[in-house]
Amino acid sequence: MSGMIGISLTGLSAFQAALDTTSNNIANANTPGYSRQTANLVTRVGAGAGSVFIGAGTAVGSISRSYDSLLAGQLQTANTNVGRLETLDSLTGRVNLLLADPDTGLNTALQDFFGAVQDLSNDPTSLPTRQALIGQAEGLANRFQNADAQLSRLGSEVNERLQQTISDINNLATSIADVNNQIATSGVDALPNDLFDQRDRLISELSRLVAVQTLEQDDGSTNVFIGSGQGLVVGATAQTLAARGSEFDPTEVRISYAAEGNVTPLNDALNGGQIGGLLEFRDRILNPARESLGQTATAFAEAFNAQHRNGMDVRGTLGRDFFAIDAPPALYSGNNTGSPTATAVVTDLGALTGGDYVLQFDGASYNLRDAATGASLPFTGTGTAADPFVFGGVSVTVGGAPAAGDRILIRTGNGLAGTVRNIVTDPQSIAIAGATTSSSSFANLGDAVISAARTVDSSDPNFLTTSTIEFLTPSTYSVNGAGSFAYTEGDPIVINGSEVSITGIPNPGDIFTISSNVGATGDNANGLLMGDVQSVDILDGGIISINENYGRLVSDIGSTTNQVVAGLEAGRAVQRNAELNVESVSGVNLDEEAARLVQYQQAYQASARVINVAASLFDTVLGIVR
Amino acid sequence: MPSRVSTLSTLNSSVNLLQRLQADIDLTGRQIASGRRILTPADDPISAARSIEIREALSRTQQFDRNATIAVGRLQQEESALSLAGDVVQRIRELTVQASNATQGNEARRLIAVEVRSQLEQLVKIANSRDGNGSYMFAGTRDDVQPVSQAGSVFTYNGDDGQRQIQVGEGRTVADRDPGSDVFFRVRRGNGDFQALPVAGNTGGGIVGNGSLVDPTVYDRDTYLITFTAADTYEVRDSSAALVTTATFQPGDTIAFRGIEFTVEGQPDIGDSFTAAPSQYQDMFSMISDLADAIDTAVNSDLTRVEMSNGINRGLENLDQALGNLLSVRTQAGARLAVVDDQQNANSANAITFQETLARIEDLDYAEALSRLSAQTGVLEAAQRSFVRVQGLSLFNFL
Repeated sequence: MSGMIGISLTGLSAFQAALDTTSNNIANANTPGYSRQTANLVTRVGAGAGSVFIGAGTAVGSISRSYDSLLAGQLQTANTNVGRLETLDSLTGRVNLLLADPDTGLNTALQDFFGAVQDLSNDPTSLPTRQALIGQAEGLANRFQNADAQLSRLGSEVNERLQQTISDINNLATSIADVNNQIATSGVDALPNDLFDQRDRLISELSRLVAVQTLEQDDGSTNVFIGSGQGLVVGATAQTLAARGSEFDPTEVRISYAAEGNVTPLNDALNGGQIGGLLEFRDRILNPARESLGQTATAFAEAFNAQHRNGMDVRGTLGRDFFAIDAPPALYSGNNTGSPTATAVVTDLGALTGGDYVLQFDGASYNLRDAATGASLPFTGTGTAADPFVFGGVSVTVGGAPAAGDRILIRTGNGLAGTVRNIVTDPQSIAIAGATTSSSSFANLGDAVISAARTVDSSDPNFLTTSTIEFLTPSTYSVNGAGSFAYTEGDPIVINGSEVSITGIPNPGDIFTISSNVGATGDNANGLLMGDVQSVDILDGGIISINENYGRLVSDIGSTTNQVVAGLEAGRAVQRNAELNVESVSGVNLDEEAARLVQYQQAYQASARVINVAASLFDTVLGIVR
Repeated sequence: MPSRVSTLSTLNSSVNLLQRLQADIDLTGRQIASGRRILTPADDPISAARSIEIREALSRTQQFDRNATIAVGRLQQEESALSLAGDVVQRIRELTVQASNATQGNEARRLIAVEVRSQLEQLVKIANSRDGNGSYMFAGTRDDVQPVSQAGSVFTYNGDDGQRQIQVGEGRTVADRDPGSDVFFRVRRGNGDFQALPVAGNTGGGIVGNGSLVDPTVYDRDTYLITFTAADTYEVRDSSAALVTTATFQPGDTIAFRGIEFTVEGQPDIGDSFTAAPSQYQDMFSMISDLADAIDTAVNSDLTRVEMSNGINRGLENLDQALGNLLSVRTQAGARLAVVDDQQNANSANAITFQETLARIEDLDYAEALSRLSAQTGVLEAAQRSFVRVQGLSLFNFL
């Protein structure tokens, strides 16, 4: 009987523990990262009683948590992916909106500006129309500046978020190392389930920030690796990540790994999670967008300026530059030991890419690399003023005292859109008129007529000097009284930078004149050509117009955003699935717990009943004796 | 699906589902509110880029249409000015014909000359007319300068030969005006090819009639001198005094050589001569001014009558050239108007095409969107009902 009581007591205490575990499960049903616990009952080994072996009741062998490290690993990977895509999505979506918004997008401003050029061509003498063009020019320059400034602000935000994320990663690493330490010192026998849960939750959080690999150790601690195998947490020790300026731009945050005093750049190796998303956004979306915008801005400003210089303003002076834009800047590596210098100018819009280029000095000469891919690129020239390096639409002159290994970054697009300024502010300085004009003498007897003069080289020293074409015979003419040139009807005749053509049959002695177009207030010859800048294919070797180049940027960003959104949808689906899988093992099901509650309650009541039976047995024996 | 589900994940799944359904409804709602299928380029990157191109093309086409309207206004203005100028020259021609009538006395012709001169003033005013913006219409591109100035009977053109082109279509421009030099100053004298004139100092009664170019392949545009060596004989010499031909002559005979011919009425004296020179440009104002002087000649002898007749004949020839020139410029302006008209039709057709394409690319199909919205709200409602039902189920309810 004492056996019976003893055995039922073990049952009572075991079922009490099981009920406690179930209560704990119910209480933690909504706790994130909580793994369902189970009280594992074992039989107590009984003692031999003669020829038989009677059991000695039950005991709680262990309380284990339901956890599958494989499934948890899948969830971590999914988290890393979603972390990266969520970051990309939020940032790319903003670039997407910025470019598409009619209030910030460039295309409407370009259209308005060229509309104003056409309006002025229709009515070159109208001062209000001239002023309207200046207003549109300012608006367009502002639009370029704003678009670039907003992208630049996104760049600063990326830098800040990188620093924030680095600090978050460092904090998490410290916490994980802490928990590792507690686990290792708690002893392996009593499983510290709650510490395990806590650590797994921290690792899961970390996996949203950066891609991690984990490796469980015998003492129960987990090592965490990032990048290409750098240990972030090893046992109870956490290493740190540090933010540092990039080689050419101290304000651009790059990431390095600091362990035992050694600092290793990590940039390219970190490819997942928020950090990966931020880096990917900067390299794949933000910088290319700014480069393309700078390319568009440079092409627009240079092409429009070139055309404007070919015209003549109301006062009879040749057009000046209409817009100002900075030349591609040269940035010098912080690691340079010499003092090289470089100056770049845009010389070929058709070849302009907007990309970043690195000139590297090898001790004797420079070689050229694509800054984004590191690929070696061909170029021409020797870098002197007379024979500059020519690549990517720019000409670069180098100087200073370079040392071997010194590097120079040439930015041919990034940031240039922010430097577009409208510098013609006087409405009468708009050179709408052609610079030169042609006329035929009233004394001409022949039927030949001369075309309007077209500017081919406004920098000709005698550009505005009056020149005469006098026919010596119906098939030959002299220029300014000299020479005898064969006359072919309709062929271009270029004199002092102006081109005309003559058609019809001239009479000997017929005179045609090319002269400065001073006073032609109603002329719009140059205005028409300025209006054409909008649609002339000047980029990409002469196959893409300014507007098309902008359209390409919008479509590129749009399709990237589209891909990211689709990727995020898919990533979230995978993540949800992984969560379901983890939850299916570790999650609490309240119906299940209710059933267990009933199960253990009944067992507990049964054990109590056994004591009751033992007591009544005892009473029976006592009754016999009485 | 795993066989075992946790209570929390069931809840989370339901919440996720509800959120997604609501996001879908939100997108559809925004599409319906804006009427646009593409809200950001990411919604359809290819169409977004295409829509930028089409918008540019559309805005250019609309700009061309505005330009064309301006060109039409200016060309119509020019046409009406040219038509007025034609009327004036025609009136002067009628007056000249009236003056050439032999019955007109000196006083009557003086009065006619007065009217011719006042018509000339009118013509100068037309040449110096301004458009609505105060710009001179016939000054070429120097349209802030009065194109025709007069000093006595000398008329000077102060404009230039420039023509302003207006872009009315992609790659298509038309001149919105004609310079005064082409309209009023480049009028060929005589019959347009050559002009035969009596040499000053002739004493006979030779009156030069109409001339014509008979054979352009023979005519070499040299200046010829026709001299009467006898009352019934003349000789023709070229500019280097080489004898071209000699012939006999009766009053009213046609003098013909080197592909040209003209008549001479009356009897020239021996030694009288005539020139036949290629037509030079002259402005129609001085032509008319000279004509008025000829009409105003006081006839008091045979010689003055011959001078007057010669002057009026030349004037009539010149007036025909002037009329012809005005008509030809007017025809060209009319042709340009027709071109602009065609182009405007093409522009509006293009604009409609662009707008339709844009609508197809960007605009929402309301029927589709509304039925999508009702389907989406139906699904959301069902999900909400099922959420409430499922979450209400618990074994604890029965304990």
